[in-house]
Amino acid sequence: MSTISAQLRNFKEPDRDEQSLLFFAIPPVHVKDDGAGQNNPEDSLHKMEINAMLSLDGAEDSYPGKLHLFPPYLAFASLDRKSVRFTIPLCTVRRVERPNARAGVYSLSILLWHGMKISVQLTSLRPAADQFCALLSMALKAELQAGKMKTVKPFSKTCYSENLILDTSPVADNEREDGSLIDGGRKVGEGNAPAFHGGLGLKFKFPGDPKKLREASKTKLWTTYFRVHGRHLTLLRYPQATRFVQVGLPNRLRGEMWETLSGSIYLRFTNPGRYKQILEENKGRTSTSTEDIEKDLHRSLPEYLAYQSEEGIGALRRVLQAFSYNNPETGYCQAMNILAAAILIYMSEEQAFWLLDVVCDRLLPGYYSPSMHGTLLDQRVFESLVTRCLPVIHEHFQEVDVQLSVASLPWFLSLYINSMPMIFAFRVVDCFFCMGPKVLFQVGLAILKINGEQLLQIQDDGQFIHLMRDYFNSLGDSAHPTSSDPRMRAITKFQELLLVSFREFAVITEETIFSERRRFRNEIIASIEAFSKRSAIRNLKTLERFNKEQVGFIYDALFKAVCVEPPPAPVPPPMSLLTTKDTIEERPETRIGPKTFKVFLSEIATWARDEKIVMNGFQQRVDREVADHELMDRLFWFWDYSYRGALTFQDLVTGLDGIIFSDLMDNIEWFFNLHDKNKDGFLTKDEVLTVSESLLFIFRFEIGDAYLGAVSRFMSNAFEYGDALLPRPEGSGEEDDATPQIESNQPYLSLATFRMVLLADEVLESFFETDLSASFRLEPVPLMELSPSNNGFLGGIWSNIATDTNVKLFHKLSDEVGKTIGRHQVIHRPSIGRYTSIEDTRPRESLLTPAMRHSSSESSLKATSGASSTEAQSRPSVSSAASAATSATLIATDAERHQFALSPTSPAGLDPLAQATNVVANAFLERTPFAIDDAGDDDDDDDDEEEEEPDDVLDEVDAFLDAHETVVTDEDGEVANG
Amino acid sequence: MSEAASGSADKSVQVKLVLLGEAAVGKSSVVLRFVSDEFQANKEPTIGAAFLTQKCRLEDRVLRYEIWDTAGQERFHSLAPMYYRNAQAAVVVYDVTKAASLEKAKTWVKELQRQANPNIVIALAGNKIDLVQPSLSGSGSSATESEDEADDATATPGEAAASDAETENPRQVPREEAQAYAQEAGLLFFETSAKTGEGIVEVFTEIAKNIPIESILASSRGAAGRPGTSGNRPGTQEAVNLDENQARGRDACNC
Ligand SMILES: Nc1nc2c(ncn2[C@@H]2O[C@H](COP(=O)(O)OP(=O)(O)OP(=O)(O)O)[C@@H](O)[C@H]2O)c(=O)[nH]1
Ligand SMILES: [Mg+2]
Repeated sequence: MSTISAQLRNFKEPDRDEQSLLFFAIPPVHVKDDGAGQNNPEDSLHKMEINAMLSLDGAEDSYPGKLHLFPPYLAFASLDRKSVRFTIPLCTVRRVERPNARAGVYSLSILLWHGMKISVQLTSLRPAADQFCALLSMALKAELQAGKMKTVKPFSKTCYSENLILDTSPVADNEREDGSLIDGGRKVGEGNAPAFHGGLGLKFKFPGDPKKLREASKTKLWTTYFRVHGRHLTLLRYPQATRFVQVGLPNRLRGEMWETLSGSIYLRFTNPGRYKQILEENKGRTSTSTEDIEKDLHRSLPEYLAYQSEEGIGALRRVLQAFSYNNPETGYCQAMNILAAAILIYMSEEQAFWLLDVVCDRLLPGYYSPSMHGTLLDQRVFESLVTRCLPVIHEHFQEVDVQLSVASLPWFLSLYINSMPMIFAFRVVDCFFCMGPKVLFQVGLAILKINGEQLLQIQDDGQFIHLMRDYFNSLGDSAHPTSSDPRMRAITKFQELLLVSFREFAVITEETIFSERRRFRNEIIASIEAFSKRSAIRNLKTLERFNKEQVGFIYDALFKAVCVEPPPAPVPPPMSLLTTKDTIEERPETRIGPKTFKVFLSEIATWARDEKIVMNGFQQRVDREVADHELMDRLFWFWDYSYRGALTFQDLVTGLDGIIFSDLMDNIEWFFNLHDKNKDGFLTKDEVLTVSESLLFIFRFEIGDAYLGAVSRFMSNAFEYGDALLPRPEGSGEEDDATPQIESNQPYLSLATFRMVLLADEVLESFFETDLSASFRLEPVPLMELSPSNNGFLGGIWSNIATDTNVKLFHKLSDEVGKTIGRHQVIHRPSIGRYTSIEDTRPRESLLTPAMRHSSSESSLKATSGASSTEAQSRPSVSSAASAATSATLIATDAERHQFALSPTSPAGLDPLAQATNVVANAFLERTPFAIDDAGDDDDDDDDEEEEEPDDVLDEVDAFLDAHETVVTDEDGEVANG
Repeated sequence: MSEAASGSADKSVQVKLVLLGEAAVGKSSVVLRFVSDEFQANKEPTIGAAFLTQKCRLEDRVLRYEIWDTAGQERFHSLAPMYYRNAQAAVVVYDVTKAASLEKAKTWVKELQRQANPNIVIALAGNKIDLVQPSLSGSGSSATESEDEADDATATPGEAAASDAETENPRQVPREEAQAYAQEAGLLFFETSAKTGEGIVEVFTEIAKNIPIESILASSRGAAGRPGTSGNRPGTQEAVNLDENQARGRDACNC
């Protein structure tokens, strides 16, 4: 049930270039798979923008603006970014000329494939203009070489507008008034299938009364416009185009205009055949998305005739499936079915597929994603705009506790298609594709404004919804039914709505929406994350012995781990296994693998992280790194109760429950089981050695040699005692040296023996009594804070600077400086921290009689080392001893390391373990004492303050700046950090 | 605003009720049956939530249900709190032909019990029992019956087809199992069919009987009177279609 995703956090605001590309609807350049090599044309094709004045050949008016070269596109926007604009693929350009330059005028005449001539006067300085021309010609050549020019003509045939402008239109005779084809579109062009793309409306009729919609005159208007201003790929958007859109697009042209205005046409143009290919490649594949789609196919505009037939249902199914295959993260969201069904009335499947892509990816990002963050964000933005533009209504809503989004959420999510009668909704959609998402907000505000008086009367959500529903149902009525002026009476409420939307709310610009989205993004992300946390906790089968807060900490650690080390996407089970029974268990749930687990564990267990306290004169910080040791993997598999090779949140909670609340005996048993791989109740000799490795790992940063001593005593005791308890072969004498031989992978040490051996040592006893449990800490996890006010320009810059890499760079820099001034110090923070100075704890008296001791210890060790040389795969004791020494190396400083080189090469016959222990002990005597006091003083409680997280970075940058003004001591650094 | 004092005068009590449950289990259909006694074979999925009202008479009281019918798809889940906040009653719907939908219902119940109004009355409704009506004898389902099923199979083709193939009876959730769960969790329990209307009215009557009306009255008297400004809306004044033997004395209330 609980899926944990860090996806929202990874959101990055588009930079300026990306914003331009978005604005001009230029499709992202597909990176070539084969790495492309040096002569990748993208390298040499530069972007450039330049001031320019646009005019059309023969037309009077010209518009100042900016001309952009984004190979392979040329784009223009007038200064106000809305009056005039175009995005033209370079492959539609046939010639570029520089007409005889009048004095000081640098202009280009661009001839397009259908004969249209655009003239742009470059108003920048001469060198810039020259450079622009050079780049343009390079980009054009590249297109020519790639043979792109040839693709334009065939593509244009798929566009209805091309047929419109032919003098003798083959279409007109075959059309009904509403624009649908008399014979269902099958016989256009003397028996050939119509080359142009069109929607289900061609066959099943378009909604609305064509007379009332004035289809014929609108079509004529557009036809004239296309002749002068180009069409589809080369459409120049002049102010009149926007006005034509606002009165409603003619039915037959609607689909093409939607894709042209939204820019999805460029995707269809650059990805020919892709739609079919996606369907082909995924044929027969099922997923949660396809299941959900099936449920809704018959529930999408069911009153429209096409969706009562297999033809319409099939088209809808294919488009939705193709989208979900192509966007597995989004998959399918209810409301997309309604949108898809609506646009399929006007466009072909392929057109609809790409339009849907543009809607979900660019126009309404995150609307239909699993978290629906885009929807929630825009609702928040809408609320804020209402507060600003309609404060009286906002106040009233607050007073009577009415939530705006109970009504407005479906408006946005279905682009009003689900709220208004279809013919009106489609006109909103026309404007939406032409002018962008701001339209949804403008219309929403206008609805509230027009109904303002009644809205002030409502007392609850229900009345609000009713009022809105009634209003939508009356959109076709006169807005001024009592007016004496017949022209006034003729104005419908819908016309009034659009008028108010675009007149009174013209202040709502695209930039308003973007900046409001930026303003509230983090708030929304935080609330979504809080919600998923709550439901993840609620959905746990059991909290075990934890309270809610503690489980919350476990969740936070898990969440952080997922952010740092995202688990691989779950592999969908093969379709044949997808029976209904299985789907009950197969609810989507985040499962983490060993890699993510280690990050998780490092947040919880003190010994699962390497914490270095770094002091460099400017700052004192703790560098935390995830440790890596076999013990951590062991724990992962130990907690994998359902044998899936992956852990759920529940597994982690249950796993932690098994150790955090335990007492001495429980803990010993837990540790025993953790190392008893085959669960037969016995440790093998190898496993005994692994136990000591694990212990050495846990103790690697402890101060003093108490633990090392304890571990080596544990080893010798374990072997002594283990051997002593082995059943002896019949008839062997007491002083017989031939103790039974036992393979290193045979059952050797029972739990009872293990316990006894551990309890023989005071240090280990206290470790198992309290320290082991206490090393798992449930405390607030320093999460990557979302800065609350990431709104301003500066905020953006800061957040860019404060990336993780930059933090590291900064640390490195200050470390370097610290080294040069001799103030660089690194101390490992101990995981347990019980002993704060070197002190020797004496072992308890041996459990064994001197005789037992004498006879068994040596032989056992001999036996294991013998086994080791013969058995290559199992872990031999010599290397274990060596690795015990290597583990010990971890705590030694470089200066001491050379001594350890001795131990692996210890001559045969000598007791290798004793040797290793010796070396370890030596190392301790020689350890420089610098670490001890400082580290000991350090309180573990301030972990969270010293994480290297973006938020803290600012503090550290501050600290750094401070450092340059005043003489900074370590304490100052700490203060600044705190 | 003429009935401003209605809250206490005609003893009409406003009850906020929310419907929750997996997508396509028939929440909207249940409401539609209750509110207008209709059934639509292909109901559009609910986007966000829909709002309807219906009056219901219980003894001498008139209850005015304000019904929030929510969207079922998992990703709409995070919106649900917006609709169930302050709800006095909830109907959690599952589909008797889909075992997974009961699991989803259970998580809803859990969430309501922890997050919603503590006195909320929750009813569990297993819908679509028309699809699993014991066909008299094992294989004796009438021709019309099977045609009906074929009809529904278009609405939810996957499961219907699958279950048809497996067994005679597409039921996946035994009545006893759901009932036992409901009892354990302290829920009212019903099996319903929005298609035939079976059990629908009972759900709402039973809830009405279990609602702590007095406390709602007390609290709404304190608050602003709940005038019937929108009481004259279409769809709300239809009478609940009473089964003749439903002697609860409920009737239409065209106000
Ligand atoms: N046979 C049968 N079909 C039903 C019944 N109730 C609903 N359906 C059908 O099941 C499908 C889904 O019904 P809805 O009422 O829209 O389901 P919902 O729970 O509101 O779905 P969402 O709004 O998507 O959450 C529709 O095709 C209904 O016709 C029933 O009692 N019997
Ligand atoms: Mg519904």
